[in-house]
Formats: sequence, C-alpha cells, structure tokens
Amino acid sequence: MKSKNYSKKISKIFKKRGFVFLEPDVILDSNYIIQRSGENFKKLMFTFEDDSGKNMCLRPDLTVASCVKYLEENTKGTSKIYYSGQAYRKSNNSKDSIVNNQLGLEIIGSKKKSSDDREIIDTILKAINKIKIKKIIINIGDVSLFRQLIDSLKIPERWKLRLVRHFWRPKYFEDLLNRLETNSDIDPIAVDFDKKRFSEMKKLNQNEEIAGRKISEILSRFDKKISDPRSFAEGKKTAKIIREFLEISCPIGKMDKSLKNFFKKYNIKKNIIKSKLPIKSLSKSNYKIIFSTNFGRDIEYYTGMVFEISASKNKQKIARGGRYDDLLKNLGSKKNIPAVGAAIYLDNLSKITQ
Amino acid sequence: MKDILTIGLPSKGRLRESALNFFKKNNLELASKGGDRDYFASLNKLPKAKVIYLHAREIIERLGDGTLDIGISGLDLLSESAINLKKRIEVTRKLDFGKANLVVAIPNDWIDVQTIADLEEVSFYFRDKKNLRLRVATKYPNLTNKFFTAKGVTQYKIILSLGATETYPFTGSSEIITDITSTGSTLKANNLRVLKDGTILESQACVLISKQSKKKASESDLPKSFF
Repeated sequence: MKSKNYSKKISKIFKKRGFVFLEPDVILDSNYIIQRSGENFKKLMFTFEDDSGKNMCLRPDLTVASCVKYLEENTKGTSKIYYSGQAYRKSNNSKDSIVNNQLGLEIIGSKKKSSDDREIIDTILKAINKIKIKKIIINIGDVSLFRQLIDSLKIPERWKLRLVRHFWRPKYFEDLLNRLETNSDIDPIAVDFDKKRFSEMKKLNQNEEIAGRKISEILSRFDKKISDPRSFAEGKKTAKIIREFLEISCPIGKMDKSLKNFFKKYNIKKNIIKSKLPIKSLSKSNYKIIFSTNFGRDIEYYTGMVFEISASKNKQKIARGGRYDDLLKNLGSKKNIPAVGAAIYLDNLSKITQ
Repeated sequence: MKDILTIGLPSKGRLRESALNFFKKNNLELASKGGDRDYFASLNKLPKAKVIYLHAREIIERLGDGTLDIGISGLDLLSESAINLKKRIEVTRKLDFGKANLVVAIPNDWIDVQTIADLEEVSFYFRDKKNLRLRVATKYPNLTNKFFTAKGVTQYKIILSLGATETYPFTGSSEIITDITSTGSTLKANNLRVLKDGTILESQACVLISKQSKKKASESDLPKSFF
C-alpha cells in the first residue's frame, strides 16, 4: 500500500476521535528555534536569509511547526489537532532521508495530563491496528522521573542543573558522571590565586560590567562555587545511584516494583513515584511494553512520558511521541501551555506491511 | 601546464620565511625573478615545477580545486575548511614550524570561570537570566562549533571576526573569543586568559597535497622530506 493510502486511513481515525486538521507553515523564523536549541540544532536545519535579512528555515519537525502555528493563531484553551506533511533535516548519514513524511497529532493546552497521554497512545495504537500491523513492541519511559531523582539527591545545586541539562547528551553525560565521581571539578591552586583577585574586585564598582557580566555576578558565582560542599565519597555514591537508576528496564507490569525497590535501596523519598505515571494504566493492555528509565533521551523537548512503537518483525520504527510541556513557552508563549503528541513514520509503513 | 608541478607557498610573514627555509634545507633554491610583488618563482633543480606565493587560506582552496598540486599551509586552516575541500586534500608531512594553538579565551577577570564546564553554566545564565546567548567571536566557526558541541556547550552564538579578535570582549562585540595563538602574549596583553581545558586544536605547518596530484608529485623530483 502506498503511504498516501495509509495517510488517508489514519487521518480518518484521527478525525473520528475529534482531532482537527491543521496545516503548519513550511518556512519558519529560525530564531524561534535556535534561541531555544543553540547552534547544535542549527546544524540539522536548512536555514537561509530572506530579503529583509531575517533568518528563516524549512521546518525541521512538524511538532515545532504546529506549536508555532498554535501561538500565531492566538488559540485559547485546548486544541486537538492533526497534521500531515514533510519535515526537512540535514544528516551526516547519507542513508537518512532529508525529507521525512510525518503524520501526527497533538493535544495542546489541556491540563488533563494523564488522560491526554493515554489518549495519544491509544489513538496511535488504533491507527496501527487499522493498517493491520499486528506484532509490535512499545518502548516507554518518563523523563520527568530522572529530574525528580536528581532533585532528591544531596549534591550542589549547580551539579543538579548540569546533570538535568545534559541528560539529553548521553555521551557528554557520561563525562559529567566521571567528573562527579573523581571530583576533578575545582583546582585548589587556581582558587587560591583567584581569591586574591576576588578581594580586589570586591572593592570595585559592583555594577561595572566585564564582557557582558556584572562584577557582582562574577563574584557571587565564584563565592558559591568554592563554598559548594564537595566530598569525594558523596560524589562517587551519587554517580553510582544515577548509573544504576538509568539501568532500570523491565516489562511495564513490573515497573512499579522495580522503581520501588530502587528507591528503597538508596533511601530516596518514595513520593517520586506516587504522582507518576499515566503510563501505568498501560500494564493492563495486551501489547509487549518495555519500560526504561533511560528511554527518550535523544530529543530535548520532552518533559514527561515518551514512547516509541516499532514492528517486532524487522524493528522498523512505526511511531513515536511524548509530552513536551515547556516547548510552547520556549517558543515565546508567556503562559505555561502543556502539550503532548506523537507522529507516525509514514515512510516506514510500507517496509513493514510488505 | 599538465606536466608542470605547481607548488603553493605562503606569501607573508613568519610562515613564508619558515617555508623558504624548509626549501633551502632541502637544497631547493628559489629563483624568484622579482621582489616582494612577484607572485611566481621557479626552482633551480626542478625545471618542471613552479612556485606561486599565495595567502595561506588561498593555498587550501587552490589545492581543493586542483590549480595547485602541492603546498605548505597551516593545519588549522585545513581543519577549518569545508568538508568538500578537506576530502580532496591530504597531509603528507607535518613540519616543525608554524606551531600555534586554537584556544578558547575569556576575560581575565571572569575569575569564576576556569573550565569549559564553567563556561557552559555561564552560557545558561545568559540564556535564562538575560535572554541572550553568549557570543563567541572567531575566525574559526567550524572548529569552534565542533569543539563546543562535543563539550556540551550549546547556548552560544558565533560572531564572525576577520581580525583583532582579542578586542571583541572589550568593545561589546562579543563576550568571549576563540583564536590562534603561539605564545599567548597577545591574549595576555589584551586581558584575556585561556581556559584550562580550552585547547581546540594544536596546529602546525604541513605539506599538503591535492589528492588528484598524488601520482604527478611522486613522479616529480621533489625530495623525500616532502612526503
């Protein structure tokens, strides 16, 4: 079957469930996206300058494009939308295609987070069922668990921020853990030398700026840094906890127990898992569902539940999605607007049903 | 032209002098026909070769498009150049001159910043508290991007500089810089300090060869020390 036909069939299901068709713009103001993601993401995008000198790009992703549209249209309240179209990304791997056909849906601006998460997953599963792909594996995670774990640990505040920020870069994250373990973070000799300069600078006008930073800002960060509690044993233990946490992986039915055991072992407050996990209700379904704490670390905008569905047969990816409660704010919204969504990899479907 | 081996040499400064020295050591006299304004020279022992004096960056470009067969230039400039160019050029020998490092430098008085990890935190502070991205002035945007990305620094913006990069942090054009330095004295004189783990690349002069000219060069009478 051609992807056009799949698209028709699946769209029908989306519509039936109350999702409304939205056509996001193909060309976006790239400052929106770069401001959020920095130069790193820029590498993936096709950017250019328009005649007025504004930086534009081809949409790298339809989730971002639909959120921009949602904000532009000044939509109030809950919006259930679906879209179908192409996203454009550069890649270093010549096997990857530059043009990706995406068919997806989003629930934006609704506070019923648990039931929304469930609705997104259920709708996607219904669609997969409709196109007669029977044997699938669902990988699921919740990236907010990691954030809560870090919050509950006794480590310097700047280390917490650092670990949370770099959760998305597994390789660099491992570097960080190594550094945390060995405490190779502060050099005592340099600190002594700079203490002298510190007292000299104390006497200067604190509002004076040095390359964009006020003297007061520099001194207060210096002060905080050298007074951070640092003990070798603590760092080592923390790194161990984090590593072990990220190794948790089990069938969804055993998720609760695995997490509880882990928190008990390290004496961590158990309320972390109390609030959690709309995904728990999935344990009653008949699908093969694997829960991993490590899952969902490759796209920075996720904030909660993350899932991916692939075919058992050949491991081709069918769909993926998740909750991204901060994205709209990062794109310029003044209010917090919760959102959750998922997309189907149309290009892969024919490889599976053949 | 086809059987003439075209050699590119840096046209200015210390790199030019050291390159000429290297030729001398190999008993290759450059019979330059004119003064400093003469762009061409011939070699006494290699009648089938000609030398062109070019800007060091230009040497890389011309090796890439095949107008030069072989040349001497900096490793920093080769590493910085576009992937399509790099693919067509090979380093045949690293030379013991032109040594310099590409480094990340910050204002001396940012005493709270010693490492890239500190810099990364400050860059987030810029984003979260000032809604700005930390600006990095450089003549080497590609190498800088690659280095920062690998070190987990993502919240910054490149400001392209064509020269006197050291002044940028103090004229309000950028907060920090990356630049090439051999002794570090220019940085010091401008109140800048290199981060402890801020070496992006250790560079030196190299003999470079255009891949499509490999056969031609090996069949020429160039001494072994070029390969």
